[in-house]
Amino acid sequence: MAHLNLSGLKKSYDGKQVVHGIDMEILEGEFIVIVGPSGCGKSTLLRMIAGLEDISGGELLIDGQCMNDVEPSQRGCAMVFQNYALYPHMTVRQNIGYPLKVARIPKADIQRRVEAVAATLALTDYLDRRPAQLSGGQRQRVAMGRAIVREPGVFLFDEPLSNLDAKLRVDMRIEIRRLHRRLKATSIFVTHDQVEAMTLADRLIVMNGGRIAQIGTPAEVYARPASTFVASFMGAPAMNLFEAATLNERCVKLKNCEDWVTEAGFRLPPAGHGVTVGIRPEDVAISLNGKGLAARIELIEELGGSRVAYCSRGALACAAMLPRDIDFSEDQTVFLNFPASAIHLFDQEGARFQEDKSNNDGNSAQADKSFYTGVKDALAVMTGTE
Amino acid sequence: MTAAFSSPSQSARRMRHSRRSIAPWLYIAPAALTFLVWIYWPLFDALWLSFHQWNMLPRAPVKFVGWSNYANIFALPKFWQALRNTGIYVIGLLPLAVIVPLAVAIYTNDLSGRFRNVYRAIIFVPMIIAPVVAASVWRWVLDPDYGVLNGLLKSAGIAPIQFLTDPDIAIWAIVFITGWKLIGFSTLILSAANANINPALVEAARMDGASRWEIIRDIRLPLLSSTILFLVMITTLLGAQWSFSYIVVLTQGGPLGSTTNIFHILWDFGFSSMSVGWSSAAAIILFLGFGVLAFSLMRLADRYSFHDN
Repeated sequence: MAHLNLSGLKKSYDGKQVVHGIDMEILEGEFIVIVGPSGCGKSTLLRMIAGLEDISGGELLIDGQCMNDVEPSQRGCAMVFQNYALYPHMTVRQNIGYPLKVARIPKADIQRRVEAVAATLALTDYLDRRPAQLSGGQRQRVAMGRAIVREPGVFLFDEPLSNLDAKLRVDMRIEIRRLHRRLKATSIFVTHDQVEAMTLADRLIVMNGGRIAQIGTPAEVYARPASTFVASFMGAPAMNLFEAATLNERCVKLKNCEDWVTEAGFRLPPAGHGVTVGIRPEDVAISLNGKGLAARIELIEELGGSRVAYCSRGALACAAMLPRDIDFSEDQTVFLNFPASAIHLFDQEGARFQEDKSNNDGNSAQADKSFYTGVKDALAVMTGTE
Repeated sequence: MTAAFSSPSQSARRMRHSRRSIAPWLYIAPAALTFLVWIYWPLFDALWLSFHQWNMLPRAPVKFVGWSNYANIFALPKFWQALRNTGIYVIGLLPLAVIVPLAVAIYTNDLSGRFRNVYRAIIFVPMIIAPVVAASVWRWVLDPDYGVLNGLLKSAGIAPIQFLTDPDIAIWAIVFITGWKLIGFSTLILSAANANINPALVEAARMDGASRWEIIRDIRLPLLSSTILFLVMITTLLGAQWSFSYIVVLTQGGPLGSTTNIFHILWDFGFSSMSVGWSSAAAIILFLGFGVLAFSLMRLADRYSFHDN
């Protein structure tokens, strides 16, 4: 077990900076998932921690020791690669035992440890096979075995599940989590798959454009995304984001949809400021009766356990989870309601508004139960002229 | 009535069928004919000639002599000298055709753009020079009186070396020149194979704690083994043949037959002394000997090829 400190970690290639000063602390035994779209610098960051990429600036501390210029093998990290990187000319036994062999550990010890690891990963029957004779899942386990056998302080996983089929991916995800619970080694897992990220992480690091967009537990990141990027990246289907503008310092109205207003429950910029309103599809209340925003269902996506309706109303598009008990069909007109408690507000730069409790004038209870259709009614409610 | 109707359609079908069965043969005919004319016919002709005595003059009689050509060749000290020299050529060429290029390919793998181009130019230039031109240039370089090399040795106070006229040295001079010409080709093949190794394997080995040398020994060399075996195979099979032009231009097999090899005496028998029976017998011996070698090397290459997926 080890703890890591990253301060101002930077990476540039030929003067072009791709990782812009990453600061974070990873605690002993923590399972950290770095998630982000392709090219966001997550794999580069992992490889910098591993020592496979030089660090252009900043400092990497593992257990308090600066590791910037330390050889990869001396950092106490083991890595599982995306394509497993199993040595094709070696058997499973030789693959798993290789780190011990180069560490000049006696043969008998190597055999004992390799067999113990193989037993944990259900690889005992395959020890004398070559990687080419194994299935994808078995190869993945061999790659993990080679990492585990060194008993490293830090496990690094570089998108290790992305080459597996959907079912195997779920199985391996559970296996990795189980393994982490047993070994309790600090783990850093890089993925672009948000389901993997949500299910595996103790803490999530969402990256975008070489910067950290948000750090937090999966629940925190999901419930309170720090920016429109995080909001749209985490969650499938993605959060609905609508362009809007402040009506006054407390209320927001949607663009392209003049008759919808909500109250923030905290102080907003003065009237006319552009903001973004977000709501998760599962928070959208959809009904067939005449209350709420009228919209047409364009498409229904069947997900087995749930159904998603993609609705439109002029230029406004909104995804909503459909309740199981009501029969909806495409081209049907429905009514969308956005509970105020489920609404996320972001400023013009896409950053989440920090709810300032001191500015809360006590109307939040009302905001919670309110949704407004009809700008006049809403204004009346909010300005207290009802 | 039925027969009258069915017979034309049957014959049409038969024609279609026969046309279809000829088609595949037509497709392979160009290649098959080329093989037949350039490989199998000369091969069987050589086999036939090896049992005959003939001086290649069209009017001269062709006399069947049985195994006596073979018996005579095996009794000829010059043949055994040529065979021994062929072994020296092959073994002498291996370091230059395999080991040096292997080291160059591995150590220049990480070179950056400009240096890589310079080294490529240095390595590949010999490859594109015509063998006879190269041989003439080397004759100047190695000349005992006016050659650059002996000039350098003289200026360093070392007595000039008779590179091409000393029977103990001449064969090594030819081996070196043949190897110098080959390095570029082998380096090209090995560099390509080396660059083809999945970089993640090398990274995994670095993470596992392998040193630079251990990565070469445990990862690169095993994964290059099939390419190395391929080069060993073609050097073994063709190395002595590649030295042919240098032997002809620089030493004509001398001094005292010290630089001749099996290809050179084969040519010598056939085209200098016009004894085509001897020449063919030597060619058949060569064919069988190298055939056995090639087969065993191919088996080895198969065993050591790993497919990295």
